[in-house]
Amino acid sequence: MFEVLKEMLVSKLKVTPSSVVPDATRDDIDLDSLAVVELSMVLEKELGLAISDDELLEAATVGDMARLMEERSTAA
Amino acid sequence: MSGAAAGRTAVIAGLGCHLPPDVVTNEDLTRRLDTSDEWIRSRTGIATRHVVDPGTATSDLAVEAGRRALDSAGCEADAVVLATTTPDQPCPATAPAVAARLGLGPVAAFDVSAVCSGFLYGLATATGLIASGTAERVLLIAADAFTTIIDPADRGTAVIFADGAGAVVLRAGDPAEPGAIGPVVLGSDGGLSRLIEVPAGGSRQRSSGVAPAPGEEFFRMAGREVYRHAVDRMTASSRQAAEAAGWAGPQDADRFAAHQANARILATVADDLGIAPERRLSNIERVGNTGAASLPVLLAQSAAEGTLTAGHRLLLTAFGGGLSWGATALVWPDVKPV
Repeated sequence: MFEVLKEMLVSKLKVTPSSVVPDATRDDIDLDSLAVVELSMVLEKELGLAISDDELLEAATVGDMARLMEERSTAA
Repeated sequence: MSGAAAGRTAVIAGLGCHLPPDVVTNEDLTRRLDTSDEWIRSRTGIATRHVVDPGTATSDLAVEAGRRALDSAGCEADAVVLATTTPDQPCPATAPAVAARLGLGPVAAFDVSAVCSGFLYGLATATGLIASGTAERVLLIAADAFTTIIDPADRGTAVIFADGAGAVVLRAGDPAEPGAIGPVVLGSDGGLSRLIEVPAGGSRQRSSGVAPAPGEEFFRMAGREVYRHAVDRMTASSRQAAEAAGWAGPQDADRFAAHQANARILATVADDLGIAPERRLSNIERVGNTGAASLPVLLAQSAAEGTLTAGHRLLLTAFGGGLSWGATALVWPDVKPV
């Protein structure tokens, strides 16, 4: 799921590919609060995953966001 | 087909805009806010904006834009509709004063309040005035001195909002003519009114007998939630407007003009609609978010610069407080902005 998330961040949100590592924080990849809303909308549209921007903002790292996506996709 | 489309409708006959001369750069803002040019540009797409000087009111901007639109059309008007969120006073409406200063005589004149969707709400209203035979020529002005309700210390809004006015003259005409206004898709969701608001200064606060808390007289916006709704509503209403106009879809648009709210919202909406980057009109870098004035200022500047020309199929959309939103599709007429 990390690779899927990385692909979304790079292609849809124009994040620099090399900066997207599991331990990277939102600050590290320059993902501000509006970009998190965009990511939430992209995940829903492209993958059918309903994860709110509030939930994504609580994830400390990119790895944590990917784990959230895994949980949500198995739940669905 | 609506009833109006069967017979007579409103046709765009002229347009113009006016921006106050004072320009505020991102550099200027960094002197009083914890922000930077790079931060503002990357998050909003804005580099400069025009602001009113002390003593200048919405009507002052509206009169100038209105005069230019009348000059462009080469005629007078028998009704004035003013879309604004920042009227000169709570009472009366600002439009009658604007009509009087333009020397239009005892014409119908009133304000429309739909925040950043005001131009499209005003366009539908003005079209109705003409279709019903109430008016022959309507001067529709959208003007906001938005910075007068912005908290100068709020980094989230102070970098975005700006002042300006744009106007169009609408005349009676045939639905098949270039510039004819067809169905305007409009909508609202008052259950989410708190996402964009000025909390104090109205009857709710005044009747409470409680003085407003500090800052409640200023405009507030819940950025993240607004972003999501703005994208969803502008995308959906653009699709509806394209369909209502008989287009195959929004991708038929030669030019796309969306309320200049934030460059990232605009890019997301246009991407979702499948509109190529070279077809997107934009001036947000130079003027910021001018509220209701945003769309007509964009149209007047684009027409003056030659990026919007006669025959272009144009798709317009806006979103704002209310929540409110709208969209419409038309063929751009042969008009020269003044």
